[in-house]
Amino acid sequence: MSATDPVVVCQGLTHVYLRGTPFEAVALRGVDLVVGRGECVGVAGPTGSGKSTLVQHFNGLLRPTEGSVWVDGVRMDGRGETVREIRRRVGMVFQYPEHQLFEETVFEDVAFGPRNLGLDPEEVGERVRESLRWVGLDPDRFGPRSPFSLSGGEMRRVAIAGVLAMRPRVLVLDEPTAGLDPRGRQEILEHVREWRRQQGLTVVLVSHSMDDVARLCDRVVVLHRGQVFLDAPTREAFAQADRLRSVGLDVPRVTDVLLRLRAGGLPVRTDCLTVEEACEEIVRALRAGGSAWSSSEA
Amino acid sequence: MELLRSLTIGQYVPRASPVHRLDPRTKVLATTALLVVVFLARDFAGLGLFALFLGACLLLAQIPLGFVLRGLRPIWFLLVLTLLLQVFFGGTSEGTVLWRLGPFAATREGLVQGLFVTARLVLLVVATSLLTFTTSPVELADGMERLLAPFRRVGVPAHELAMMMTIALRFIPTLVEETEKIMKAQMARGADLDTGGLVRRARALVPILVPLFVSAFRRADELALAMEARCYRGGEGRTRMKQLRYRRSDALAAAVVLAASFAVLLPGRFRW
Repeated sequence: MSATDPVVVCQGLTHVYLRGTPFEAVALRGVDLVVGRGECVGVAGPTGSGKSTLVQHFNGLLRPTEGSVWVDGVRMDGRGETVREIRRRVGMVFQYPEHQLFEETVFEDVAFGPRNLGLDPEEVGERVRESLRWVGLDPDRFGPRSPFSLSGGEMRRVAIAGVLAMRPRVLVLDEPTAGLDPRGRQEILEHVREWRRQQGLTVVLVSHSMDDVARLCDRVVVLHRGQVFLDAPTREAFAQADRLRSVGLDVPRVTDVLLRLRAGGLPVRTDCLTVEEACEEIVRALRAGGSAWSSSEA
Repeated sequence: MELLRSLTIGQYVPRASPVHRLDPRTKVLATTALLVVVFLARDFAGLGLFALFLGACLLLAQIPLGFVLRGLRPIWFLLVLTLLLQVFFGGTSEGTVLWRLGPFAATREGLVQGLFVTARLVLLVVATSLLTFTTSPVELADGMERLLAPFRRVGVPAHELAMMMTIALRFIPTLVEETEKIMKAQMARGADLDTGGLVRRARALVPILVPLFVSAFRRADELALAMEARCYRGGEGRTRMKQLRYRRSDALAAAVVLAASFAVLLPGRFRW
């Protein structure tokens, strides 16, 4: 899928911050990456590996120092028109997006994006209501309220609705579940999966949480010191636990449990991504050769 | 987008140089002396000498010149304005007229004076940035606190001032980062920050300023709480981990600065 219909393409992408000062820092060196339409790609990597820098190139917030970025076949050059067009196609949800809320009401805040697109008021209203429904907030109940009177999780959903209201084709989420309780986490991830299914949205998920990546993504790209360290389908990526751990990353808890069981002598597959899958696998393994395992354990 | 990061005024550049190692009190006093000297210098020769001295200090402190000049970028408008005002209004009415612009005449005397004042401003900024380039905010505040300590008796809240300064300096980079992030977030939602007239641009700032204020207040709240949780109750009876101490190099630096100051001022005194 990704090879036939690429949406975001990076070639030899290099980014240097503050070139020519004592604070010069190379954040990315020669990154090649293709994101296919409808794909969900997880971008992982230790702190300072260049994750955020990479995804900010996807909608023209940063310009490549060297190399190039294409979005939907449009090459990122510095021109205002191109940048506007690319920002319309790629929605970007930053870390702690609730910190960017500013309007007096939830409705007005979500309407900020669509208004900047120059849509007529009717269309704006329609999009705001729809986007709020997408994030599971009732537009009639929440629309007139002040965004600052909401709970943390609700604020975050309003902020995400503000990005969705731009109707992007690619949605970049930078640590969307950071600081949320397990339930808030679950809800956000459920919503993302839903949007992918309904709208064929392409999703790029930047995350420290390997559990989130395992649950949501088809493919994992691991960055390390500004370079692509690993780029593989999720199952294969997490099968290489040692490599991931060598750069200070974890594996999903599910994988961790399976790996330990295996190390303890139970012949389980270790490429399960969900708890349900893992349960089945453990039961299967126990049924097949489990008697031997339990006796050896005793 | 890197505009905010290129603000180099007041930024500390960590290096292992003799200038960095000086006692912050020495550096604060020396800088104060140098600022006075800039204002007392009466001719170009003096300013030139001063510039040479600053250049030597920068070299010793291992601060690249390009980096220093970059720090002047935010004030270029002020510099040009100063120059223009002096060129047109600085000279006396019977000065040699170079050219006319409507009712305003640019005089040769004005031009000379304009260049002088502008050079003085540039040196002023470079001299003060030399202090902040080579002294970390914490050291700076420590030095200020100790220098102000004798005035406590007449009601100068030395510790409080130093603490306020430390906090302010500590949060400048944080706020810059925050501003950058909010700007990016709003730009990603199609906010247009660089086009349109003055009113439109001013209105475009609202989506950035509101979240910025909200977060600044939140941070202030959290900081106050964190300080209280660690039993902070002002400077009374507070001890320090790092004690400031004058060394031989400080005396040497003071002597050099003093000598340079005289060298800058003396020839002027003789001529007038």
